[in-house]
Amino acid sequence: MDPLDAGRLRRLQLAGIASGFTAGAWLGAAEAPTKMVTLGLSPVVISLAMVVGVFLARWSLPALLRGTSAIRADVRQAPHLIVWAVLAGCLWAVANTLTVYAIRDIGLSIAFPLWNANSLLGILWGAVFFNELRGAAWTRLLGVLGGAAVMFAGATLLAVASSTQAPAGHAARGVAAALAAGALWGTMYIPYRKAYLSGMNPLAFVTFFTVGELGMMLSLALGGSGGLSGLVTQLSAARDVLFWLMLGGFVWVLGDLFQQYAAKYVGISRGIPLSNTNQLWGLAWGLLVFGELRGHAAATYGQVIGGSLLMALGAVAIALASATGAEHIRWQEAAERERARYGIDPAYVRAALAGEGTGGPSRQRTWLDWTLVVGATAVFVAFGFIARVPNLALSWGWVVPLTLAMLVLLFGTGWLLWRTTRFN
Amino acid sequence: MTNPRLSAVLKDTQFWVPVAVLVAGLLVLWWIR
Repeated sequence: MDPLDAGRLRRLQLAGIASGFTAGAWLGAAEAPTKMVTLGLSPVVISLAMVVGVFLARWSLPALLRGTSAIRADVRQAPHLIVWAVLAGCLWAVANTLTVYAIRDIGLSIAFPLWNANSLLGILWGAVFFNELRGAAWTRLLGVLGGAAVMFAGATLLAVASSTQAPAGHAARGVAAALAAGALWGTMYIPYRKAYLSGMNPLAFVTFFTVGELGMMLSLALGGSGGLSGLVTQLSAARDVLFWLMLGGFVWVLGDLFQQYAAKYVGISRGIPLSNTNQLWGLAWGLLVFGELRGHAAATYGQVIGGSLLMALGAVAIALASATGAEHIRWQEAAERERARYGIDPAYVRAALAGEGTGGPSRQRTWLDWTLVVGATAVFVAFGFIARVPNLALSWGWVVPLTLAMLVLLFGTGWLLWRTTRFN
Repeated sequence: MTNPRLSAVLKDTQFWVPVAVLVAGLLVLWWIR
């Protein structure tokens, strides 16, 4: 495989880094709708409702952006990746359910940094399995490893700052749940990276990912609710808040799409820490919109500001340590290994690594694409009509600028990705 | 999927790492519920 032109590599790295930061903003905001849920719902029902929102978004957004015919063409090139995508979906579903238990037992503020340790695992898997950081100059290695360590320290400081709000619960179980979620999410990036080194488009991967996600979640929900009738009873009792949970899932998918592009273009060792800036966004929503930590001591605010600065500093260090040509050649070697192992067309793999299309089917939308988009929208509208607006004191003055900032990132990075890769 | 590709998935050691972590995660979930 020929080395990638330096200018092209730089543009791809920039698109990947912007995707990582945008993923952080949207993944962090995904928590906001779940805060509106009345406590007392079963963790499995919360997770299932989110996954339904995720499922609807993951079938409709790719259909809208790229069309199902392009997704079918992708799968024909590397059908084995369906197995990997379904496996990654199962990992996500179990991890998400574990986080709900962790939040219940030790509180979001402690649980969040624990499962965000997934970035350390991501760096390990990236280096061991996919040649990431190999051939990188020591300054860049230091930027990634040091940045991840500084982000972890910042995350821990944020946890300490807000630990006063932790609910009384089963601490050991909560910590175990959060750490297990981090291990599952950190390992979930193995299938992600595998798919993108092999050439699969992120929009095609997530479509099959969500089959594993919904299948695993339904199995867990049926097992935990005593069968179908028990699950229907629980869902029916929660019907007026299902919309908010599904909305959380939808917002999460937007963040995750960018996370997929980050994993593709900057690798998992850099992509995961960058998207872990979601903790900063989650904190911003919590502090500014939901009024968390109000009335706490000045020292607590000092810890919050210090922790946030550390996280931001770590993220900047990682963003500045993007991969150069020498490291990218090692990525290409890992891609060649995948190509040989699974017998994939070399032109397809090469084009995908360069962020180019392979001259597949046109992007014209079919009746199936529009059916998926209209159907998903109709389900959201229907649940929106029966949703109850929770009686929460929100600072609307902060909702507007935060939402605007997210939209700027969404359209700005979306435009950059389109211009650089045409969403390939 | 053609059989050689499925067979390649099963022989790929990288496949068994996420499978093992998934099983471990399910065990933790079973323990805390």
